[in-house]
Amino acid sequence: MRQRRLIKLAAPVVLSALVLAACGDKKEETPGGNGGGDNKVVKIGVIAPLSGDLSALGLGIKNGVDLAIKQANDAKKIPGWTIQLADKDDTATANVGATVAAALAADEAVAGVVGTLNSSVAEQVAPVLNQSKIVMVSPANTGVKLTGRDKLPNQQRVYANYFRVATTDDVQGPFAAQYLLGTGAKKLAIIHDKKTYGQGLATAVDAEFKKGGGTVVLTDTINPGDKLFSAIVTKIVNAKPDAVYYGGEFPEAAPLSKQLHDAGFKGPLMGGDGIYSQKFIDNGGVVSDLATSVGAPTDKLPSAQAFVEAYSKAGYKEPYEAYGAYAYDAANVIIEALSKALVGKDKVDAAVRQAVIDETQKVSISGVTGQVAFDPFGDTTTKVLTVYGVDASKKWVAKKTDTFK
Amino acid sequence: MIRRFLRRTRARLHALAVPVAPYRVPVAVLGALLVVVGSWSPWATFSGFAGKMTLAYPGGARLYTLVLAAAVALAFVPLRGRRVAGEIAGLGCLGLALLTTLAIAKEGGGLVNVAWGAWVTIVGAVLLLLSLLSLPEEEGDEPARLPDGPAFGQLVGVLAILVTALVVVVEGLEIPSAGQFLAYLAFLGLLAAAAAKLGVFEWLQRAAERHRMITLTAALLAAAAFPFTQDGSNEWVRVGCSVGVFAAAAVGLNIVVGLAGLLDLGYIAFFGVGAYVGASLSGSPDSNVRLNLVFLVVIAVGAIFAAVLGVLIGAPTLRLRGDYLAIVTLGFGEIFRIAANNLDGFAGPKLTNGPNGIPRVPNLNLFGFDFGESHELFGITLGYFANYFFAELVLLAFVILAFVRLNNSRIGRAWVAIREDETAASAMGINTVNMKLLAFAIGAFLAGAAGTLNAHVTTQVSPDSYRFDESVLLLAAVVLGGMGTIGGAILGSTLLLVLPEKLRFFQEKRILVFGIALILMMRFRPEGIVPNRRRQREFHDDLSGADATSAPPGAPVVST
Amino acid sequence: MTQFAQQLVNGVVIGALYGLIALGYTMVYGIIQLINFAHGEVFMVGAFGGLFVWTRVIPDGTPAGIALPLVLLGAILTSVTVALIMERFAYRPLRNAPRLAPLITAIGVSLFLQELVRLYYPRCSAADTVGESIPRCGVTQGREYGALTDQQFPSLISGPNIKVGGVQIPRVSIFVVVVAILLMVALSAFVRRSRTGKAMQATAQDRDTAKLMGINTDRIIVVAFVLGAALAGVAGVMQGLQVGTVGFKMGFLAGIKAFTAAVLGGIGNIAGAVLGGFLLGIVEVMATQYAPHPFSGGAWRDVWAFVVLIVLLVFRPSGLLGERVVSRS
Repeated sequence: MRQRRLIKLAAPVVLSALVLAACGDKKEETPGGNGGGDNKVVKIGVIAPLSGDLSALGLGIKNGVDLAIKQANDAKKIPGWTIQLADKDDTATANVGATVAAALAADEAVAGVVGTLNSSVAEQVAPVLNQSKIVMVSPANTGVKLTGRDKLPNQQRVYANYFRVATTDDVQGPFAAQYLLGTGAKKLAIIHDKKTYGQGLATAVDAEFKKGGGTVVLTDTINPGDKLFSAIVTKIVNAKPDAVYYGGEFPEAAPLSKQLHDAGFKGPLMGGDGIYSQKFIDNGGVVSDLATSVGAPTDKLPSAQAFVEAYSKAGYKEPYEAYGAYAYDAANVIIEALSKALVGKDKVDAAVRQAVIDETQKVSISGVTGQVAFDPFGDTTTKVLTVYGVDASKKWVAKKTDTFK
Repeated sequence: MIRRFLRRTRARLHALAVPVAPYRVPVAVLGALLVVVGSWSPWATFSGFAGKMTLAYPGGARLYTLVLAAAVALAFVPLRGRRVAGEIAGLGCLGLALLTTLAIAKEGGGLVNVAWGAWVTIVGAVLLLLSLLSLPEEEGDEPARLPDGPAFGQLVGVLAILVTALVVVVEGLEIPSAGQFLAYLAFLGLLAAAAAKLGVFEWLQRAAERHRMITLTAALLAAAAFPFTQDGSNEWVRVGCSVGVFAAAAVGLNIVVGLAGLLDLGYIAFFGVGAYVGASLSGSPDSNVRLNLVFLVVIAVGAIFAAVLGVLIGAPTLRLRGDYLAIVTLGFGEIFRIAANNLDGFAGPKLTNGPNGIPRVPNLNLFGFDFGESHELFGITLGYFANYFFAELVLLAFVILAFVRLNNSRIGRAWVAIREDETAASAMGINTVNMKLLAFAIGAFLAGAAGTLNAHVTTQVSPDSYRFDESVLLLAAVVLGGMGTIGGAILGSTLLLVLPEKLRFFQEKRILVFGIALILMMRFRPEGIVPNRRRQREFHDDLSGADATSAPPGAPVVST
Repeated sequence: MTQFAQQLVNGVVIGALYGLIALGYTMVYGIIQLINFAHGEVFMVGAFGGLFVWTRVIPDGTPAGIALPLVLLGAILTSVTVALIMERFAYRPLRNAPRLAPLITAIGVSLFLQELVRLYYPRCSAADTVGESIPRCGVTQGREYGALTDQQFPSLISGPNIKVGGVQIPRVSIFVVVVAILLMVALSAFVRRSRTGKAMQATAQDRDTAKLMGINTDRIIVVAFVLGAALAGVAGVMQGLQVGTVGFKMGFLAGIKAFTAAVLGGIGNIAGAVLGGFLLGIVEVMATQYAPHPFSGGAWRDVWAFVVLIVLLVFRPSGLLGERVVSRS
């Protein structure tokens, strides 16, 4: 009796094992090691959120770098060397960022890092990498203070290894203020979310708008995460501004615009690239709302279209997102610097790493997002901006593209 | 429901193994032989799986199955609980072998890729398990109570476990793949469970309590040895730094929550106060206070400032009971964060730089020793984070000392009395409000000190680091590790900070898994991993009988 | 004066939501002294349940008059189901464990529910492309830990605001306040009049004695969870209607605020939760408008709310309507 139960149990197990075995393919042995033979290896690191809320943006960055590396390897950009990608997940957390930065610094083949996405993470990553003299080029940090250019009058570079190809907040703000003044707005209400990005924009708009002869009738803040803004809306409507500038991101901006216009406000709500998203319109943004964004629209830049084409041809699973193109440029900056610094070298060492930093400072290449070069603080010298507006078909359309002076 | 199912399944398995009973010993020997042979043979037909899978010597999962099979021998040690210990080891051996086989099949694309070594091992494990299951049921499957033995033996035991812990951690961190790391975790857990059934940990706990100072010193020395194993790399030492500071704060919180029983949901604020004081007085170019004091003074200022705030908050609110206190502390934590976010010259006086925080906190420099430099010691290079790691160990030692001294003092006993029954405590003449205030202030003091040091480790402070989530994480560390114990708080912090680093495997679902883990942990082991012995009895009524010999009778069972 | 009246109306509308959610905290606490920190998540799940009915169940073009009750029903069903599962598998096994164990469980449940909802968010698609520029999908700029985007919620009650002497009142708000007050009155009557309600009171006063009187206390506890969850589900839909979006993180803030409201009114007291909700809403709104500079505006609003709470607790340690706590330990 008992034995029979055993058989009952065993039969299906054995059967399924047989089926599995029959289905399986014998895995082929693949020759290990680097296929390139005696090539020397240099690595470019990526530090970005590859998991969690912001992984879409982070993976876009990683793929952008990967694409640049593949193209450089195919074109034998650095003779005798193969470039490899070393990607690390910072989970958008500063602490984790510092840890993975230390891990990259310990890898002797790493000579440059593209990252990070978040300014707050960069604040802990940059010093760790600086300690090991590894160049860091960020595709996305917009926090002004990271380079030290904001410390007027005693501007002082913070980290010698830190560069970025992203345009900073203090450029978008004044550009928006000038545009609003140009449309005839005289009275402005400024609302922000009390985060580095939002407050940075708001402060810059405030200064420029007043300089241009306008009045700021109200400055107030909302709390990120809040969605019912009736109290602030009442305050704004009573202050009777011609326009509202919102420093922050679209999850709050969209309901704010909706509730503001429901309460009878007629002017536009303007924001930075934090609200430049289709979701802003879907979730409550109304016709005539405005946003600034960095760079010119893609269809006006031939280099950008080449990138879009190459990206889709490479067959990445994830879209390149907001920063894929910038990451591509950032990686090309490092590759350009490497191609100078690695001439006649056998391996990556402290001297090479320092040379890469020095060469990065001198880089000037034509990238996807425009001409890429750095000022003495490590900030990009390109300052092309575009104002977008919501049109009647509920889409963003470019209103004005200009170079900020 | 789940327990009943397990019990029934086990009974059925026992019934299944009855025919084996007469041949128990030969079957066990045969099984053991097969496992040994199997683990020294190739498991996969392709190379590169989980590191060392096809090499001739056992490594990775094969080593784990081998060791677990050896642990089956525990079933033949004449101790109470041996049968369960053996079963855990045997089941683990079989389970790991099966899982590894499945992983190989998945990686290779079918069971064809599983080489004969794996099958031999599985057969061996099954035989081992059958012979184990055929052992007669005996009375007392509860954990054994090992005799204390001589003091020297106890010391050797404690030191051995500390060295083992260091090796286990270092080995674990070196495992590259998440899958193998999970196997490693399972292996450790099974071994520990088997040992626990034999009463090993209970024995160790007693030994550690008897030689407390020696144990503490040895534990700190073992921790201090960690950077020397890292070969100059900063990666895990940096994680160690996070763990050190976090653990110091968690032990501090353990005084408030574990000893005095005050549910504090805004503890991170005191940590933040310390951090802001540390950053402001550090000489950072972004600080709004033009003062650059010696660090030893700064850390005292930070801690005292936090303690004063603790008293200010506590004085009016500590009269409240339990849950009301929870919301008040939560509110205070939020007030601190919002204030730090606002005091930037726009919405208040310029003090904290608002959302920008205070970056560029310079490296510590104590008596001419620059913490920002790498050093060489005994011919081993230490990355610069090792300096901070050592500083944190000193801080942690101080916090632990405070915890131990307080726990064994009149004050500590008063706290426990308040925790168990405030009304009764007050009737016994304890000034409950003052005692609670003291717990609050001391907790704040320690958190402030930890925060001050942390400002230098992270080189910046910003309000976002002190959100409600962080308070919750600290609390989770204390509760997961075990309330009211030092080891628990430290183990909890280590797990909460290291596991996420290692479990990238789950990627997107990481937080989901963490949530489930919290629920399961509270469901099956609410007293934490390293329980306070008295608390453990509160949770598991069934244990009280077995432990009756060791516990004074009539220990209160509290249900609030 | 108009401004004051307008802000008062704003405060009442916000307070109605807080009150609805706070009832769930207060009922569960009143009966088993458990702070169900996952209650905010029940509210969030309810909102998504309603959204699910709207997007997947009802055919396009259903008139709002029919859709609204269905959406509400979907929300209630979802949040009640979640609460039932939560009570049965997470909390009930811990009935006799000390207070901190269920608290950690609640945190675990919160994380689990948030992540569960987030993982089922729709993925990026070409439709998310912005204008003619570089496409980006529903993710914020991510300057400083932005969250995944919120989901659009249908505006089932629309039309111009109603004006009463210069005060603008959106139609949604009227609906929200009326429904909230009706529900609160109904709940209060249920607890005071019905047999089950009386059993709830008895269980809250003394669980053991209630058991001796033949009351199935386990069932009563389930009833408390279910009632609280149903109200939270309704509140979730109302938040969606007013704001136009719902997000997986919306439960956290709402939960904390509602818990504060419950404590403000005296936790365990049903009328207190309602009162606390309205009071908290009004305090927040008035602090935004009238607090002295520089501590005014949205930035300091929550600080004022918590300060009012702390001061009140110092003078009335059991909240506005709470009775003196009888130590039951």
